Amino acid sequence: MHNRFRQLLRDSDDLHSDAMRAARVGLNDYVEAARGSVAATAGIAAGDDVAALQTAAGLENVAVQTYQLALTLPFIGGPLAKPEIKTFTERTMAQHSEHATAFNAAVQRLGGKPQTGPDPKYAEVVKQAVPNIKTPLDAVGLAITLEDVAAQTYVKDIGLVSTAELRQLFASVAGVESQHKAILLTVQALLKANEPQLIARPPEIAQLPAAAGSAGFPDAFYPTAMAAPVEEGAVK
Amino acid sequence: MSVFGDRVQHARHAQMAISERELSQLNRELDELHESTFPQVRKAIDELAANLGTVVRQPSTRRSFFLGAAGAVALGAAAACSSRPTGTPASSSAAPPAPTETYPGDLKVVAVATALENLAVSSYEGALKKAGAGELGAVPPAVATFVQTAMKQHADHAQAWAAVLARAGKPPISDAPLSITQDQLAKLSAAKSVPEVAKFALDLENVAAQTYTFATANVSDASAIMTAATIQPVETMHAAILNFILGDYPIPDTFIGTGNALKPDNLTVR
Repeated sequence: MHNRFRQLLRDSDDLHSDAMRAARVGLNDYVEAARGSVAATAGIAAGDDVAALQTAAGLENVAVQTYQLALTLPFIGGPLAKPEIKTFTERTMAQHSEHATAFNAAVQRLGGKPQTGPDPKYAEVVKQAVPNIKTPLDAVGLAITLEDVAAQTYVKDIGLVSTAELRQLFASVAGVESQHKAILLTVQALLKANEPQLIARPPEIAQLPAAAGSAGFPDAFYPTAMAAPVEEGAVK
Repeated sequence: MSVFGDRVQHARHAQMAISERELSQLNRELDELHESTFPQVRKAIDELAANLGTVVRQPSTRRSFFLGAAGAVALGAAAACSSRPTGTPASSSAAPPAPTETYPGDLKVVAVATALENLAVSSYEGALKKAGAGELGAVPPAVATFVQTAMKQHADHAQAWAAVLARAGKPPISDAPLSITQDQLAKLSAAKSVPEVAKFALDLENVAAQTYTFATANVSDASAIMTAATIQPVETMHAAILNFILGDYPIPDTFIGTGNALKPDNLTVR
C-alpha cells in the first residue's frame, strides 16, 4: 500500500511535470483553452454553468476533507507539527470551505442543486493516499496536486462559463488556489533541501536557498491541461 | 543608463550576498531560457490576437520591446502626462479632428495590461539596479532569484499583450502610460532596503492580479479573457511569495478582489 502511494505520487509528479513542460514548450493547453473559450462569446447553456460550479464545489469539498484529515496527522496538526504548517493547513481548509459555499450559492442562484459531496475522481485519489502519508513531504505532494487541479480547472472554466459574474467568481478563486500551490511548492523545495527550519514566519530570508525564491511559480502562464472536465463533479 | 538617475551610480555595498556579476549571469541564463521558449509563446499569441484585429502593421520584435521596457521608467513619467501613444505620429498644424480612441473597446484593457506589465518589468529592473549599486544592503540569494524570475515572467506577459496590440494594428505601448506610474516610481526610488522593495513589489503584484480579475469579467473577447485568466494566477503567486518573504501570512484573502484594479480610465493615452 505504501509503495502504491509512492507510485501514485510519482505518477502525479510526472503528470504535473508533463503539464508544465507542455505549457512552457508550446502553450498548447493555453491555446486549447482559448479556442474552447469561444463558447464564452457564443454563450453556453446555463446547465453547463451549473455543472462547472458543481464540479468546482466538489473539488473544494475534497480539499476541505483532505486538509481536515491531514490535521489529524501528528506532523501536520499534532504535537510534532510546526506552527506554520498547522496554521497554513487550518486557514487553507477554511478558505476552501468558503469557496465551496460560494460555488454552491451560485449553483442555487441558477436553480441547480448544491454539490455537497466530493469530486469522485479526486476523492478516490485521496482515499488511497491519505492512509499512507508518512512524512510532511508526502502530505505536501498530495496537497499540491489538489490545489493545482483546482486552479487549472477554474482557469479553464473562466473561458467556458457564460456570464461575466461567473468568470469573475472563478478568477477570484483560481488566484487563491494558485497561491496555496505557490506556498506548498516553496515548502516542498525547503523540505527536499532538508531545510525544514526555514519554514518559518518570518523566514530567515538570508538563509533561504536561491531556488526558494522561484520554486513557487514555475510557469509564466498558468496551465490548464490538468483541468477537471466540466461534468466531472456535476450532481446527477 | 540607469533608469533612476545619478543616485544609483555610487557606493557599492560590500555586504551584498549576490554580486552584480552573478546577477548579470542570472540575467543571461534567463534571457537564454526566454529566447528558447518565446517562439512558442509568439505562435500562441498569434492565434489569440486574430480575434482582436485583422491588420498587421509593424509587429514589434522582442529586442525592440525590451529596449522599450528598459526605458519605460524614464519614459513613464513623461508618458503619464502625454496624450500621444508610442508610434503615433505627431498631429499636424491643421485643426485637430474629433478625438478618436486609439484603443477602443477591449483593446483599452489590453493597453492597460501592456502598460502595467511594462511597469512591472521596469520596476524589477530598477530594483536590480538599486541592488547592484548597493542601495538595498545585503540581497539574499532567494530574493535575487525571485526578482529575476518574476521580471522575466512579466516580460512574457507584456510581450503577450503587446502582440495582441500589434496584430490589431494598434500602436505599440513600450512604456507605462498609466495614472499610477509616477507615484509607483517615486515609491521605488525611495525604497532603501530589501523589505521596502518587497513591499513595493507586493502592492504592484496585487494591483496586477486584481486588474486581471477585473479583466476576466469586463472584456468580451474570448482570447483576451483567457489571456487574463492564465496570467492572473501567476501574479497572485508572486504576491504570495512576497508575503512569505516579508513574514506576512502568504494568502491573506479568500477571494481575489477588484477594488485596486486598474480600469480603462487609468490609461493616460487616448
